Amino acid sequence: MASASAPAVPQITLTSSDGIDISVDRSVAQRSVLIKNLLEDLPTESTNEPIPIPNVNEAVLKKVMEWCEHHKNDPTTTNDDDSDSRKKSTDIEEWDQRYMSVDQEMLFEIILAANYLDIKALLDVGCKTVANMIKGKSPEEIRKTFNIQNDFTPEEEDQIRRENEWAEDR
Amino acid sequence: MSSTIPHNLLPSAPASPPTPAPSPTPMSRAPDWSTAHEDEDANVRDVRALFADMNDAEKQRLLAELLNLCNSQQLAFVQEFVSPRLKKDPFTTFPDELCLRILTFIDDPQTLARSSQVSKRWRELVSDDMAWKSLCEKHAYRSLNDDSEGGRRNGGSTTPPLPSSNPSIHTPSASPYNNPLTLPAFRFGSNAGASTSAPDLRTQSLDRQARNPRTNSLARRRPKALSYRSHFKQRYMVETAWRHGGKVDHRQITPDQGVVTSLHLTDKYIVVALDNAKIHVFDTEGCHQKTLQGHVMGVWAMVPWDDVLVSGGCDRDVRVWNMATGASIHTLRGHTSTVRCLKMSDSTTAISGSRDTTLRIWDIQKGICRHVLVGHQASVRCLEIHGDLIVSGSYDTTARIWSISEGKCLRTLNGHFSQIYAIAFDGKKIATGSLDTSVRLWDPNDGRCLAVLQGHTSLVGQLQMRADKLVTGGSDGSVRVWSLTEYQPIHRLAAHDNSVTSLQFDDTRIVSGGSDGRVKIWDLKNGTLVRELSQPADAVWRVVFEEEKAVVMASRGQKTVMEVWSFSPPPEDELHDPDASSTDLLSNRSSSPISMPDNTVDYPGRIDSRVGGAVSNLLSMSEYTTPVRPVSEYAAPMPRPRLEALARPVSEHIPRSTNDDGDVNMADVYEGSGKAVGFDVERSQKGRDGVR
Repeated sequence: MASASAPAVPQITLTSSDGIDISVDRSVAQRSVLIKNLLEDLPTESTNEPIPIPNVNEAVLKKVMEWCEHHKNDPTTTNDDDSDSRKKSTDIEEWDQRYMSVDQEMLFEIILAANYLDIKALLDVGCKTVANMIKGKSPEEIRKTFNIQNDFTPEEEDQIRRENEWAEDR
Repeated sequence: MSSTIPHNLLPSAPASPPTPAPSPTPMSRAPDWSTAHEDEDANVRDVRALFADMNDAEKQRLLAELLNLCNSQQLAFVQEFVSPRLKKDPFTTFPDELCLRILTFIDDPQTLARSSQVSKRWRELVSDDMAWKSLCEKHAYRSLNDDSEGGRRNGGSTTPPLPSSNPSIHTPSASPYNNPLTLPAFRFGSNAGASTSAPDLRTQSLDRQARNPRTNSLARRRPKALSYRSHFKQRYMVETAWRHGGKVDHRQITPDQGVVTSLHLTDKYIVVALDNAKIHVFDTEGCHQKTLQGHVMGVWAMVPWDDVLVSGGCDRDVRVWNMATGASIHTLRGHTSTVRCLKMSDSTTAISGSRDTTLRIWDIQKGICRHVLVGHQASVRCLEIHGDLIVSGSYDTTARIWSISEGKCLRTLNGHFSQIYAIAFDGKKIATGSLDTSVRLWDPNDGRCLAVLQGHTSLVGQLQMRADKLVTGGSDGSVRVWSLTEYQPIHRLAAHDNSVTSLQFDDTRIVSGGSDGRVKIWDLKNGTLVRELSQPADAVWRVVFEEEKAVVMASRGQKTVMEVWSFSPPPEDELHDPDASSTDLLSNRSSSPISMPDNTVDYPGRIDSRVGGAVSNLLSMSEYTTPVRPVSEYAAPMPRPRLEALARPVSEHIPRSTNDDGDVNMADVYEGSGKAVGFDVERSQKGRDGVR
């Protein structure tokens, strides 16, 4: 398939932090505002050269590009998209849910990469995924979920619990 | 599985994982081998060194082979050993701004509150106001300090009370990444836009006090919230109290059995007018202050403005009072029949509407009548003011628009087929409710009828407009919520078994009172019954509410009683609340929030109120949240709202139209009797006039 459509779809090459070259459709890679801006700033002849992505390793970069590929036809988000859709819902579409079913380390790497590459929609899906992991859990369950040490003294713990009692009453 | 792994893989041809490796940095979770015993077998030590030198593919292969040698017990050990290591604290992984971004996706306070109990790091992040600010917006809680309410109602823009959270947070972070995305700069108070666009206009029992550019009582009662967290907490506790808490104080207000004709709740007073000619003034806690006596017959309309009260009724006089002293300032004569409605447009101007078909514009400072507005052909039943415009609704089936300054009629709104009983006006639209069961919306500029809202099956006697919503109540017992942009019904609430006698709504709730003796609180957004306030009474005359208070006037066992509900949170407990605590066990609380490094503004008002708060700290949380009611006041189980009022025989809906005041509203039933007396008095007053 790649060979058939190669002339029609311009490709670019990204070099991961661990030195691996990854070839992707330019339109897919441009889901990343960082890459998009970079390509716009580059003289046209140099867009054939590999673009180093020094903060993202191969595995994560491939995973991120997988998301970009799936979402390449999404309407591009405006800068004002903070308004409603983003705030309102923590719903995650089904494909994204499956995409995010990875171990925590990978999830966090995706979030960091999305932040670095400036892919806002992916960043939000990642943050929502983490938020959903927190929701509805007791402090102890949250600690278990993320393997967190309780570093409060019993007195402190008691104080904080009392501080937050008001939120439990409904 | 072992057969699938080739034993002589060349390092130059590593097996590439089929999908991205589950973990991009496996080094970080390798078991710690440094603690090996000294007397360990040399081979084992070599294996360790060998493993450390391998590349990822080789390591995976070796591990797979070793795991293949394990029995299930050992695999269970591996699982137990490995699984916590696959977990990671996101908030120690991410830079602050990403952590806060995650927290802004949490939309319930429980989770946020519980998150702060996880660890010191989590607590520090949750203490940042970012998440609470976002939560405030999601819950559509209004401004951080209630002071701005006044400004907004006057159409002025208010500056956010807190500096908006600084989007660029710079803390030393373990992350190697730059962070090109900044946190969204939420505009605080964006949800308040609705109330900005339309001042709070209440048609029936409510005064125009709300528009006074004075700080309201909340701001005076309580210190401004210092943070979005404490603001959220306050608002949330108020909301919770509205749902299933609150304190009620109830008292019998008059030894004689009077019908409550009008009720106002201002930031200083609760004012109650009765058909027995008396006006009672209480403070906002419900303690009796003054009784204003002077009217010789039932008081049917009144309007408070700061310490001034203007009242009118069957004796045809408009009286001006000072509620602080109880003194009668003026008795304004001119109307030749019952004064039925009263409003004030500013501190010196009162407008009255009367059964004599006229409206009068009074200068209540000088005590003179400035204009007599003639035009209506029958009793003027209701009026509303906005700017220089008066709109009046009449039993002649028309509404009229008048200019206060010019003292003349600008327009007549024709359309209703029967008497108009209620009117609302927000400057942009006029709404009228009529005995013809319809509600009409009008354009004040050209007098065009914008829409006819059909649905009520009887007289529409209650109306309120706010932002893009209209709520109406009828003698059919139903309460309806309409969209003022679509002119379509949003909710139809089968509210009461009989007439809706009182109705008010704000951004969150509708409170309705009915002649069935019930007071019901409804969720404005989804149209569900939230609760029933108090035990059912014989009848509910009037209900008014503000953010944290509701006043119910009802008849119980032949007695006229007043119930003052408070939904205010208890004073902040300095021991328990971090926002008020200076001796916090956890020092990070007192430091500036992460996202607001410069938020060291001193709020002078806070100190005073804390002194006040300390005195009443005895109120514990549990005391507050459990409804404290008199024994007789325990609420019945909350009935589910019916889908729609059952259709009643048509004959029941036909009001006594032969009567000029053919109201189906309860209070008006009494007015009917009062009016009968009124005729007598008019006759006798003629005699009196003759004597004069």
